Amino acid sequence: MPARERRAALRDRTAIVGVGASVFGRGLPQSQLQLGLRAFKAALDDAGLRREDVDGLAINLGWPLGTDYDRVAETFGLDIRYANQTWTHGRFVTLALQHAALAVHAGLAECVACLTACSFTQEKDLLGGPHDIEGMREEGGTHGENPVYGQTSPSGGAALAFSRYMARYGATGDQLAAVPMALRRHAALNPAAIMREPLTLEAYRASRWVIQPLRIYDYCLVSDGACCVLVTSVERARDLAQRPVLLSGMQGIRSGRGEFIFGPPGLGINQQPESARTPLAADLGVYEMAGIDRAAVDAFYTYDAFSPLVLFALERFGFCGPGEAAAWVQGGRIGPGGELPVNTSGGLLSEAHVSGWNSIVELVRQLRGACGPRQVSDAHVMQWGTPWGDSVLFHN
Amino acid sequence: MAEHNAAPAAYAKPLPRITPDNRPFWEAARRHELHLPHCADCARAFWPPGPVCPWCFEENLSWRALSGRGVISSWVLFHRAWFPSFAGDIPYAVVQVELEEGPRLTSGTLNLPHDRLAVGLPVEVAFDDVTPAITLPKFRARRN
Ligand SMILES: [Zn+2]
Repeated sequence: MPARERRAALRDRTAIVGVGASVFGRGLPQSQLQLGLRAFKAALDDAGLRREDVDGLAINLGWPLGTDYDRVAETFGLDIRYANQTWTHGRFVTLALQHAALAVHAGLAECVACLTACSFTQEKDLLGGPHDIEGMREEGGTHGENPVYGQTSPSGGAALAFSRYMARYGATGDQLAAVPMALRRHAALNPAAIMREPLTLEAYRASRWVIQPLRIYDYCLVSDGACCVLVTSVERARDLAQRPVLLSGMQGIRSGRGEFIFGPPGLGINQQPESARTPLAADLGVYEMAGIDRAAVDAFYTYDAFSPLVLFALERFGFCGPGEAAAWVQGGRIGPGGELPVNTSGGLLSEAHVSGWNSIVELVRQLRGACGPRQVSDAHVMQWGTPWGDSVLFHN
Repeated sequence: MAEHNAAPAAYAKPLPRITPDNRPFWEAARRHELHLPHCADCARAFWPPGPVCPWCFEENLSWRALSGRGVISSWVLFHRAWFPSFAGDIPYAVVQVELEEGPRLTSGTLNLPHDRLAVGLPVEVAFDDVTPAITLPKFRARRN
């Protein structure tokens, strides 16, 4: 069977049937297992499922930040027959969701719990500097770290990318400010968000540099919290408590010399060839697989650890052209009630850094119509798409 | 042997991890030369180092001296000292340099005022002997 047909066979065959979250906060005393348990139990309750119904785990936590799948299964008393292990990076969110859907569709598991738990306030030494062992790799870490020259923290890679983006396209810091300001406006409508007070352009301009050209408001929160998402077959989903949210299309992470994790293809960071690269059909398989046009997307969700990543993700999926996103996000376009609301919970910039899973939980609640004052009206299709090119398209 | 001006015990910043893949780079730097792996089949230098040419997938590789010239392809200024050993340098610059031969290196600057930092600025390699064993290639504004 050709790949296109194999992909189509997976369309709308799996669904998210339960979501749960712990409290989000800074300096929470709970362990990752304690936070994760709250999220897991909340997701089970939400779905009307019992612990015994979960036979798969797609874990997005663990080394270097905590516990692995086997410790989770042992601690929660699960009987697991399929596990996918990733560790705490936003780049592994899609991968965990996709493994869950693939395992269910292939019959390797009946119901997979995707679980993340973050204790960034307790583990912030790992996010740059001498204790960031991941960033110590020879010739540069996973976000372009190069500690020999003082290039450290994941944000260093985003700063390098945005500096070049500014030079190439004339984007400005004032334009970038539209991203954290829009997400703060979303967060103001979300009682679970940590940062809810308005963010003005004046406050943004007056804030301190961290790695120039990035200011403190371009940085995600360093926070604690857990999320859980339950994936099962669409047949099983029909019998459960919630309106299923279907996984309609997906595409995988991109990697190679043309890629830099925190910059769009063609930007010219690390060894990327420079081009003004408009995405091709082969870059946008998520829409083709779902049989849904990009224009039908009611809200877009992405990994907003640093505000330039929102611009890069929008270009990556063709919502605007290369170099155009800084202008495109102006005028409230990505804020509440905008043409394309982005990260409507407030995202990592204003709600909490739960590795991106808080956005998955949010879009599921949106597609159930359960988001109260921040509900996107008439919402049917929502997209999770990252700056590194992977994506899942959901519909209700 | 290169001359070493820095007092070795005083150098507290992170040092490179020397591996079989990158050892020739650091050995050349110690001699104040910039060497990168070069593919004989497609006649190109590449980075990061590895056992095979990433373009033609052949293994006819050698380390060759580069011109040491390039342009800044991106730059940032660190205003926060994640490494205590960099605290005295705040704000300090990190650059990516696109070498004339194509590859881009992440590096630091030598005697390059921050108000001159710009994408496209012509630069050339300069060598910073930080310990008796390690010399860091860095970049300064080109003089021509
Ligand atoms: Zn070659």
